[in-house]
Amino acid sequence: MALQRKENACEDTNLAENEQEGFSKSFDANLADNEQEEFSESFVCCVCLDLLYKPIVLSCGHISCFWCVHRSMSPLCESHCPICRYPYYHFPTICWMLHFLLLKMYPIAYKRREIQTLEVEKKDDCYSPQFDDDNLVSYVKFDHPSTSSSCYAGNLASNPQNVGLSASMGQSGSETQKQHKGTICLKDVFSGSPEASGTPAQVKMMPQNDRQQKISVADVVCSACKQLLFRPVVLNCGHVFCESCIKNSADEMLRCQICQLPHPRGFPKVCLELDHFIKEQFPQEYAKQRDAIQLRNISDKPETPSCSLNKGGGGKAAWWSDPQSNVHVGVGCDFCGMFPIVGDRYRCKDCKEKVGFDLCADCYKIRSKIPGRFNQQHTPDHEFEVKQINIMQNIMRLVTGQLRDGSIENLPLEGIEFRLEDLDLVGDGDGDGDGDGEHTQNDSEGID
Amino acid sequence: MIDFSRVQKELVECGKDVEGSGIKLNIKGDSLARLIGSIPGPIGTPYEGGIFKIDITIPDGYPFEPPKMQFTTKVWHPNISSQSGAICLDILKDQWSPALTLKTALLSVQALLSSPEPDDPQDAVVAQQYLKDYQTFVGTARYWTETFAKASSLGIEDKVKKLAEMGFPEAQARSALDAVGGDENLALERLCS
Repeated sequence: MALQRKENACEDTNLAENEQEGFSKSFDANLADNEQEEFSESFVCCVCLDLLYKPIVLSCGHISCFWCVHRSMSPLCESHCPICRYPYYHFPTICWMLHFLLLKMYPIAYKRREIQTLEVEKKDDCYSPQFDDDNLVSYVKFDHPSTSSSCYAGNLASNPQNVGLSASMGQSGSETQKQHKGTICLKDVFSGSPEASGTPAQVKMMPQNDRQQKISVADVVCSACKQLLFRPVVLNCGHVFCESCIKNSADEMLRCQICQLPHPRGFPKVCLELDHFIKEQFPQEYAKQRDAIQLRNISDKPETPSCSLNKGGGGKAAWWSDPQSNVHVGVGCDFCGMFPIVGDRYRCKDCKEKVGFDLCADCYKIRSKIPGRFNQQHTPDHEFEVKQINIMQNIMRLVTGQLRDGSIENLPLEGIEFRLEDLDLVGDGDGDGDGDGEHTQNDSEGID
Repeated sequence: MIDFSRVQKELVECGKDVEGSGIKLNIKGDSLARLIGSIPGPIGTPYEGGIFKIDITIPDGYPFEPPKMQFTTKVWHPNISSQSGAICLDILKDQWSPALTLKTALLSVQALLSSPEPDDPQDAVVAQQYLKDYQTFVGTARYWTETFAKASSLGIEDKVKKLAEMGFPEAQARSALDAVGGDENLALERLCS
């Protein structure tokens, strides 16, 4: 009950903040002066129209919140960027660099978003990836503003609650332990900018407003060259690089240099919002970086990475659109983010979370170690089972897909039956032989 | 669960630019799930000078599902049903994107008024007329605009008086008019419901 009341209290402060941001006309002018935290247009999510929270950068370079991206993805077929409709079918990982940057720049608004999101997550019993509480606390300390606003004090008071909220997710002690393990793994994957940004000595004073003074070059460095980002691109794993720092071999699929995670579907596009932001924040360093990179390009060879759409992942795109492939409607791979999973699907038998933990065939072979995309406490000793596709759902997909193409009129009924059989055959062929082939056969007999 | 905070933000955002775009969004009743949008007829079309009201219903899945929009003002247009006011527009159906807003959707509807697509009609009769006898089409569309979409020149006091003459208490008539943004037909509908 006590917790409940506390939450209500922070909801109230939320509302108050909401009003600050100009959504309500009737608020106290004093309050507005002290607590108002305006954020740049560049960091407004195009879906929820609020400050980005746990931002994800799609391969077209557009940014959206974790849940906004997830909810706008299609469970049936490939998804499209809400802004430019650029197709994608891998749910990218949160860009932690951007996350910490936003947390640092707009601590109050970001906190409000965190509380908001946690409320919804608790209700749905499905969580976005969490990060280390200690880390969070150190950030809050570091970001302590000099303004002596009573409202902000109220907000600080709500911080311990947050920590409480995140901790309450791991019910028992052992689970909390696991959660910590998870975060440690995450940190390994992470580019290391929290450490870098945690050194106040490097903080550069910028002639901007009060809060933005705290941003330093160290907050926006490339994962590879460790210099200020120039034309940043974000890979599927959430790591940020300069466009020119990505080694792009023509025949192989692009892989992250830090975590070795593959980046599907060719070269990502520059995240222009972030690029503009860096250019405005650090004009001198940006210009220096630009000159350096141009010089390097001339001395090496005049090779600039092209932004071609379908380098690398071309083969996959073909079998994606193939109506005969195994599509696990509404199920995504927790490693590479493919959504829905096409081909074999491996489900963890030991993960207790409602969302479950699934891997696609490729990632199952690699045996990933990172925690799930929805904060599942998956560990390498968990066992997997092969999951069969839901045939009815796939038929639905075929039919709706064809309806969308407008080609349903040309499709005779026998055609559909034929496709159904084919579908089972594919299931047989793809199965790695460990018994799932038989299952498929049984299933198909049952249906026939 | 409708994301009301987003709808609210959209309302504020749209309210800031009423003069620029001419597009208005008003709340219908108490819930943010039902709205009334109004768009001015595009200049240089038979719809010029008219104010067209659009009934908007926000579905539970908004903004991941498109809002439902329907003309309440009668319109003579190949892609809008002359009977029901249903709109045939791809972005209100499968081409919806969560980055679109009510305002951008209304702008698209306004653009639809200036560029009809008779090959993909909603109202076959209108589309036939558009293709076969364009002059008559323009005449009818203009006549409908004059008849149904011209903003009433009555002031709010006159409207209250008119409703009071119909037998509604003056205070109720006034609050109903306020609630629907001054449209007397909608106020009447509200009073009767």
